[in-house]
Amino acid sequence: MSSHGSLFDIMGPIMIGPSSSHTAGAVRLAQLAKNVANHPICQVDFTLYNSFAKTYQGHGTDRGLIAGILGVGVEDEAIRDAFDLATRQGLQYRFLVHEESNHYPPNTVRFDMTLQTGEHLMVIGHSIGGGKVYISRINEYNVSLRGEYPTLVMFYKDQPGMIWQVTKIIAEQHINIASLNCSRKDKGTEAFMAICLDSLLPEAQVEEIRQIPGVFSVCNVDKIPS
Amino acid sequence: MKKFENFNDLLHYCQQESCTIGEAALRYEVGLGNRDEAAILSGVRAILAQMRATIESGLYSEEKSMSGLSGGFSKKVMDFMDSPKAFMSPLEHRMIAYALATLEENSRMKKIVACPTAGGSGVVPSVLIALADERQIPLAQLEKPLLAASLVGEIVSRRMFLSGSAAGCQAEVGVATGMASAALVEALEGTPAQALTATAIALKNMMGLVCDPVAGLVEVPCVKRNAVAGIHASASATIALAGIESFIPLDEIVDAMALVGQMMSPKLKESAEGGLAQTPTAIAFTKALHSRQSEASE
Repeated sequence: MSSHGSLFDIMGPIMIGPSSSHTAGAVRLAQLAKNVANHPICQVDFTLYNSFAKTYQGHGTDRGLIAGILGVGVEDEAIRDAFDLATRQGLQYRFLVHEESNHYPPNTVRFDMTLQTGEHLMVIGHSIGGGKVYISRINEYNVSLRGEYPTLVMFYKDQPGMIWQVTKIIAEQHINIASLNCSRKDKGTEAFMAICLDSLLPEAQVEEIRQIPGVFSVCNVDKIPS
Repeated sequence: MKKFENFNDLLHYCQQESCTIGEAALRYEVGLGNRDEAAILSGVRAILAQMRATIESGLYSEEKSMSGLSGGFSKKVMDFMDSPKAFMSPLEHRMIAYALATLEENSRMKKIVACPTAGGSGVVPSVLIALADERQIPLAQLEKPLLAASLVGEIVSRRMFLSGSAAGCQAEVGVATGMASAALVEALEGTPAQALTATAIALKNMMGLVCDPVAGLVEVPCVKRNAVAGIHASASATIALAGIESFIPLDEIVDAMALVGQMMSPKLKESAEGGLAQTPTAIAFTKALHSRQSEASE
């Protein structure tokens, strides 16, 4: 459930049918997964859970997911031709069906992506109605990522001064922080930070953050169109 | 910034400020700080224009949906409007036809406005655009009523997910009907209290509605349900405009609805495992559809 969201999430989005959760939500979730990857994607295995697994063909969930990976928007009629578009752009894909999982919400997708860099990336995300989505997992890390703001997601060693070092780099770019969430597993072990920004941090600064001693992993995730 | 924690809060604000719910909604959206008033109103205009465009492109279309379950219904109602057997008003015929047209376009994978979802996307546009067309009201006068509807949906969405898979159809067509009722009252210059009473009446009568789509598709019963829901919203608005109040306050109704959503069996939440989806006709259709789909993908 949201709190104090935009009215344009209620009267909208303008989208290609037939389902806001199964079509528009699929497009937006894949757009967000693409932004997590932040590099060209060569191959995706989409594993569908629960309701997505049962009804994906009739709702165009499959077309929507491919369209989102290719950067097509929810209101673009190209969604209908997503399979052809994938062939033309050289994106390989498979759909795997995992019928029941009590572990996940009704409309869940696991993206196993192979990037042009040769890296593999695993993302798990959910469509929660009205086209709203969130990502709950990136590789081995639990996250909560909604795509409403450009977000810096990072995992690092729990030690003093980490927040200061990162926010200093952001401040030097004159980028405003909308919200900052930190948590840690255990004292002195691994910590997680998600920083929502008013604009995307340039890649050079992201690289600078990666070089901070104690940083394990950084994803610079752009927001998705509302 | 005014956040309107609940409907009671919203009503007090409107009464104190002598403003409509649509005006309060505009101030709410401005207060979020994402866009200024001019940008918000231009966004609302774009949405109303798309609602009308979807209706126009679908109204006389006889193209079938991918599944073949719908297509050509709205044209039939427009034709029936001139029949001697027609007994409802032209406005009501348009409401029915416009909702059918919107949902049929949706099932053809054409462009629609989710309001609040695609499954409930026919209700709000059908009542507003039918009113505009039948009474020659410019769309500009419907911007505030649409904002009012959206604020109603937003406040409900804080207490329940607006999706059939989370809370049944009461969260989709049900909430859309509550939104449309408020929009109608505001468009007809009723008071904010009457608008929220209309929502209350609509939601009370939509409570418990299950999501049981045949083959899991947004077609049966969704397409026709949207059409009936516009009339439901009209009846609710009429009751409220006549000065009748809701015995149960709207905030309590929404809480009750959210609880009903939690009590509802997962089989009745969009999974196609109960209700209409498990009738013999639906099961036979689903089998045939799946064999068609697997042939097509081989």
